[in-house]
Amino acid sequence: MFFETINIALRGLSANKLRTFLSMLGIIIGVGAVITIVSIGTGSQQQIISQISNLGSNLININRGFTRGWGGRVSSDANVSFTLEMRDYIQESSPAIKNIIANAQGQGLFIQGENNIRANLVGTEGVYQDINIYQPQEGRFINSRDIEDRANVIVLGAELAQELFEDDNSIGRTVRFNQSNSTFIFTIIGIMEDRERGMMGDFNNQAYIPITTYLDRIANSNEVDGFIAQTYSSNQATEAVNQINYFFEMYAGDSSSVRITSQDQILDTMNDINRSLSLMLGGIAAISLVVGGIGIMNIMLVSVTERTREIGIRKALGAKKKDILVQFLIESLALSGIGGILGVGVGYGGAYLISKIGDWPFIISPPAVIIAFSFSLVIGMFFGIYPAVKAAKLEPVEALSYE
Amino acid sequence: MLEVNELRKVYNSGLIEVEALKGVSFRIDDGEMVAIMGPSGSGKSTMMHLLGCLDHPTSGSYLLDGKDVSGFDDNGLAEIRNKKIGFVFQQFNLLAKTSILHNVEVPLIYAGVGRKKRRKIATDVLTKVGLGHRLDHHPNEISGGQKQRVAVARALVNNPSLILADEPTGNLDSKTGDEIMELFHQLNDQGHTIVLVTHSDEIADHADRTIRLLDGELVKG
Ligand SMILES: Nc1ncnc2c1ncn2[C@@H]1O[C@H](COP(=O)(O)OP(=O)(O)OP(=O)(O)O)[C@@H](O)[C@H]1O
Ligand SMILES: [Mg+2]
Repeated sequence: MFFETINIALRGLSANKLRTFLSMLGIIIGVGAVITIVSIGTGSQQQIISQISNLGSNLININRGFTRGWGGRVSSDANVSFTLEMRDYIQESSPAIKNIIANAQGQGLFIQGENNIRANLVGTEGVYQDINIYQPQEGRFINSRDIEDRANVIVLGAELAQELFEDDNSIGRTVRFNQSNSTFIFTIIGIMEDRERGMMGDFNNQAYIPITTYLDRIANSNEVDGFIAQTYSSNQATEAVNQINYFFEMYAGDSSSVRITSQDQILDTMNDINRSLSLMLGGIAAISLVVGGIGIMNIMLVSVTERTREIGIRKALGAKKKDILVQFLIESLALSGIGGILGVGVGYGGAYLISKIGDWPFIISPPAVIIAFSFSLVIGMFFGIYPAVKAAKLEPVEALSYE
Repeated sequence: MLEVNELRKVYNSGLIEVEALKGVSFRIDDGEMVAIMGPSGSGKSTMMHLLGCLDHPTSGSYLLDGKDVSGFDDNGLAEIRNKKIGFVFQQFNLLAKTSILHNVEVPLIYAGVGRKKRRKIATDVLTKVGLGHRLDHHPNEISGGQKQRVAVARALVNNPSLILADEPTGNLDSKTGDEIMELFHQLNDQGHTIVLVTHSDEIADHADRTIRLLDGELVKG
């Protein structure tokens, strides 16, 4: 009996295929959108996480901030000066800090024979490679001897090396660096491995020299741009940030002009943005599901009116209220269910396409699929009840005499 | 056997009240073939709807096989319509979007008969009314006479004791009408009680007796 009713309902739907499809459209789009959006959310989050963890783990950035302009005062540069030695004091300020390096950099023109390329020159120290989990593929990285000696040595990023020296025999050769009409000559001691572009910049397209050399020769100053600290574990990051804050409070009497951000904080912020964005888009998708449900109710009401006579005939032949109710409920459930299945297909397609465009991993979360699909059934049920009850309540004689 | 006592039906559509039946009493025995006649608007269809349990009387009683129908709820009435009564309409009232076979199967579906058995019974009945070769056709692919044969087959399929026909030949030419009447005769010979509404004296002559209505009242004699 039940299967018969399903059969009758499906016959009803297939009798009017175009209209059936159109009335399912809202559900198809709604379910598809929910699945796509959840997939975009998880995919882009994965991308952010992998980009941030590419920086190396447990990192804290210490940079010069800006004092806030308030009460009509113009904001001004911070007055705390970052010296090379300060890195040791910062290290002492927090036991959670495992490594710390000073960092200074500037743009310039790298010249080798006919080739010249604008790129970043970074003054740094040996632990840079530990912090960033970044190894040379050839030669070696800067060591403490180079720092002490203020040696004129340079390590090239993979792409920069490739573009300057088309052959790969560059170790031991020299490269010229030109900045503000001065030219510096460095001896190449290493080429770094190929490294994906991260949030901290394009590792492949920069070069590295000892921080001391950079300050003495290039910057002509004893101030660095900032520091990068690494804690022993990521759950110590907040503690370390607080201690470093305290250090600047004590040392400079002002920590507001120093920006101290842990990787965790960046990650949190990114995740927050991501989550609220997903929530908002998910809400819109859910609304379109509800609108789809109203579309189904509309079409079911039209269908009940159109088929009043059929209902009368069925009742005259012995259909009970329950039979008519179930017939129309199954019809709207079938509408939303088939719409839901098509929507899952659309969601997979949409998520795949956008993951290719956004260049993040294609991840479909099974709970999202299940929830979106069940929600479409619930909606079909909910919005199908009213038309079905209306059909079941029709009086046989009135239904039969309906023109 | 069916019996109506002081049956009244008042239609109440907004301001206007129409008393379609004004207290009608009669009885029809099992195996009878009875014609109901009367001018247009005299209450024939109203009477048929009440006899067919498609509508509730305003007052009065209707006993079907000794049981007062007013004692049944909607589900009980649906069951009576399904098992005890077969209805044939002037406008055929077939389901347009399905095959003839499925049309005849519908009462069996609501009676809870399984698919295989259903198919067999419906095929047999359709063969009996001479449409065994048209099972898969849709109603719009057959003639009016054939449609009414399908409707008769559908009315018969649950083997009801009472067959009600409201102007079954009203939409047919006289030759096809006679063929349908022949069919009713056969059914009557097989023991079905038959009540039919007609405007035609010729058709009424087929019946054992005639009940005449005028303005919602029984015409005596
Ligand atoms: N649903 C209804 N609402 C209001 N009045 C109705 C309704 N159905 C029938 N009537 C009225 O009841 C009276 C009897 O109608 P009924 O249909 O029983 O006549 P009938 O004898 O079958 O006529 P015909 O020969 O034209 O079919 C008529 O006056 C009709 O207008
Ligand atoms: Mg009538």
